[in-house]
Amino acid sequence: MRVYRDDQKFLQFRINAVLWGIVAAFVFLAGSFWFVQGVQAEKYRGLSEANALREIEMPAKRGLIMDRTGKILADNQPAYLLQIDRVVMKPLVKADKQRRQKLERFLSIVLGIPPQELTARWDKEAAKVNSSQPFPLAEDLTMAQVAKIQAQSIAFPEVNVVPVQRRNYPYGTMAAHVLGFIGEVGDKELAQNQALEQGDLIGKRGVELMYDQYLRGKDGAEFWEYDADGRRLSEYQPARQNPIPGDNIYLTLDFELQRRAEQYFVENEMVGAAVALDPRNGEVLAMVSSPAFNPNVYSKRFNPETWKTIVSNPFKIELNRAIQGLYSPGSVFKVVMSIAGLSEGVVDPHTDFGCGGSGVFFGRRFRCWRKEGHGSVDVERALKVSCDIYFYQTGARLGVDKIKEYANKLTFGEISHIDLDGERAGLVPSVEWARTKQNRKWYPSETISVAIGQGPLIVTPLQVANMTAAVANGGKVFQPHVVRYVDRVQRDGSYKRFRVPSKVIHEVELAPAALKAVRQGLWDVVNDQGGTGSNARVPGLDVAGKTGSVQVIAYSGWIKATSLPFKYRDHAWFASFAPANNPQMVVVVFVEHGGAGGADAAPLAKLMYESRFRDRVAGARLDLSNPQTLEQIKEGELPLPSTR
Amino acid sequence: MIFRDRTTPNVDLNFLGTAVVLAIIGCMLVYSATFFNEPGLGTFKRQMLWVAIGLILAMIILMVDYHVLFDIAPILYAIGIILLIYLLAFGKLTANVKSWIRIGGFQFQPSEFMKVFTALMLARYFDSNDRAYLDMRSFLTAMAIIGVPVGLIIVQPDFGTAASFFPLVAVAMFFGGIRPRVWAAMILVTVIAMPLAWGVFLKPYQKERVMIFLNPERDPLGSGYQVTQAKIAIGSGGIHGKGYLHGTQGKFGFVPEHHTDFIFAVLGEEWGFVGVTVVLALYLYLIFQAMTFAKHARDRGGTFLVICLISFFIFHIVINVSMQIGILPTTGIPLPLISYGGSSTMMFFIAIGLIANVDMRRFVNA
Repeated sequence: MRVYRDDQKFLQFRINAVLWGIVAAFVFLAGSFWFVQGVQAEKYRGLSEANALREIEMPAKRGLIMDRTGKILADNQPAYLLQIDRVVMKPLVKADKQRRQKLERFLSIVLGIPPQELTARWDKEAAKVNSSQPFPLAEDLTMAQVAKIQAQSIAFPEVNVVPVQRRNYPYGTMAAHVLGFIGEVGDKELAQNQALEQGDLIGKRGVELMYDQYLRGKDGAEFWEYDADGRRLSEYQPARQNPIPGDNIYLTLDFELQRRAEQYFVENEMVGAAVALDPRNGEVLAMVSSPAFNPNVYSKRFNPETWKTIVSNPFKIELNRAIQGLYSPGSVFKVVMSIAGLSEGVVDPHTDFGCGGSGVFFGRRFRCWRKEGHGSVDVERALKVSCDIYFYQTGARLGVDKIKEYANKLTFGEISHIDLDGERAGLVPSVEWARTKQNRKWYPSETISVAIGQGPLIVTPLQVANMTAAVANGGKVFQPHVVRYVDRVQRDGSYKRFRVPSKVIHEVELAPAALKAVRQGLWDVVNDQGGTGSNARVPGLDVAGKTGSVQVIAYSGWIKATSLPFKYRDHAWFASFAPANNPQMVVVVFVEHGGAGGADAAPLAKLMYESRFRDRVAGARLDLSNPQTLEQIKEGELPLPSTR
Repeated sequence: MIFRDRTTPNVDLNFLGTAVVLAIIGCMLVYSATFFNEPGLGTFKRQMLWVAIGLILAMIILMVDYHVLFDIAPILYAIGIILLIYLLAFGKLTANVKSWIRIGGFQFQPSEFMKVFTALMLARYFDSNDRAYLDMRSFLTAMAIIGVPVGLIIVQPDFGTAASFFPLVAVAMFFGGIRPRVWAAMILVTVIAMPLAWGVFLKPYQKERVMIFLNPERDPLGSGYQVTQAKIAIGSGGIHGKGYLHGTQGKFGFVPEHHTDFIFAVLGEEWGFVGVTVVLALYLYLIFQAMTFAKHARDRGGTFLVICLISFFIFHIVINVSMQIGILPTTGIPLPLISYGGSSTMMFFIAIGLIANVDMRRFVNA
């Protein structure tokens, strides 16, 4: 036998042979993976979805909203939600093509929903969420419904009844415009905020919207293992993320004050708004817009009928008249005029103008509201009797642009950035405005109309309140706010309190003598013989204020359904503060078609002062327990204003 | 001379670089497989440590001429055998197997290091034996070199590791060269030995694995479960994968051993067919380079050392990747440089160091 001596070539040949073998093996492996990942990918993707851990969302408890003392105005109530789980349902449908029809028939009977509506709702809701997640089909199940469904849980395992938290406003319409409401997240909000998911409930209006990031909290999740048939096996504990509850919010609103004011509007069947501010820091103590809506109806997912009634309500109940209603200020604006006149020096506290019932300005004759005239008037008396001639004179001397300057400083014509949505700026006219927006010349005679709060000038009740607060505190305009504290949840579960700071946004320089004269005039309005606001007089408390009545011309579009006399009534204003020497509260009341400010608006201011200063007001009658009215507020059934 | 400065510039950085890239991919996959269940990231950090230690070991080995290692190979081999015997005598059972030695806080598997020692020993033997075909005596000698440690590991009993010595047998037979009638005899022995092994050596769970491999439907939720879940993971990854850290099968623990033996399933799920192809290509490149080193080696011993070591890689890669999608039955064979594991990571880095070592000293006059 010959022994071959190896040479390098022989070994190299073997190495090359092995290399080609390895290349072949790798190609085979890659091909096999191509078969699994390319050809069969869909099949395995389905299997992966079916047996992966499923994430079951645990919604966070939304934070509470309370009044300034901690009275709960918005909380969460346990409720039952019915969900359909398509992962569980899929194999069942495969076995029985009629399954969905059977299930719908069953649910239609239990829930009392017509089959067609149920089918439509199913299709709509199912399209909204990923097929691996259950979708909601009905909410607010009664215990009887829950029991009936649970009894069939073996026959219909794809039906889940899950306990959820439903947003609840225990006082119904109370402070509805401030609280706002919640609703299902929309596409726009989804695009803006990464943290949101389809189907989430988020704040849509008011504090619920503005403070949503605090109230919302952070949703948690449980991870559950499911077998191939979609049966839930066990929870995968390590992955569990507990929900973090939302932060609690304390409003600046005073519950009693708010209720008092709302009660007044309801009892008198009035449309309008009221704002109470603390002139020392800009806190909103009460904010009423009447009529109000009931935010509870928005918390429900499936409510087409209620929704329609809200949208079609002729009184625009969703409108927050306190910050969105635009009205001529009328005589209330005379306060702005006196401040502007005195600050600019065109008048001083002792300047007298003679009022003979009318006067000629820029070639036109303008009348005072009192035909007989007021004789000789200085600023104090002009405010007390609301003499038009005095303010025509002041306005003519100031010119419209100076008026605008002061009006702007007192937040007219601009938004004050209150922490509520949809605040409107209103309009303060100027020469510039006429040229750019109207394409016309400003006529000096128009300035005369503006001087008594008429003409193109429109304002919100909140702006009037800001202005009144500035008079009350000596010239500071605070940024108004409705939230006082936010109690933020900390990591360890405790709460840390954050105070919403008070911020001065404008300051008007007023000489002490001038301020004293204006305040005196406003005190006279309420307390002196012949003042227009005597209805706001509170024994034992110095209230100062200004009435206003605005002739209605353009603001009648929506009121056509009601009768003519009501339509032609004036809007009524009353802007006030108390105590006059140390102001602690500003109250502005506006009543649409309320007639005279002194007669219809001032009495509410009186009630509110009595409520706020009940400790010191002797003999203040506090009737806060009219059961019938309370019931109406709670139910959210506000009677429409009737013809009077 | 142990340390030769002149050879250092000859280090093949492509080869070392490929190994490092694979190890980095491995660390990323270990992170992805464990971060969800293990907020402390202990496994990930340990793997980073192993890779670092492995790299240092590879560097140290590069410094030492492999001929010196050939000289001390019998000593290393003997130490390895003693450790294996020690294990049998005093080792503690872990999962019914005595394969771990604990030193302080660390524990390691001597069988992993024994692979390198055996390869060294075998290469040393072939260095002096340069016939085209092995005669019976040299063939039996080669088989004995491999057989002693394998026997000791089989009685541990750790069949997976014992089986991973098989590539050395193949190297000895194919590159050593045996005559056709010896091949025939070998095949005959195997055929006769198989039923014997089935009856005597194989544990019931191993029999079960083979049965399930032949018929996966046998137990979809038992031993077949692993492969089924791994296949779901890989298949659901599709072409582009679900994205790094976005897999559900591996992360949520549906695929068992997803950071060790089944880490390739995590790759398939998260990086898809693209990722699978890239990693396979990297491995192929690594093997290709090593084979080139084998051809250019300075002597027969160098050639055999490279072939023996790279054969471990080839064996581990092919077996591990094949079992991911059920081409081969499930065995505890890790993926080189990628799977989590201290002993195997270090062993493969030592092997990388040795292969580069042979290449570095390929020039006769260097």
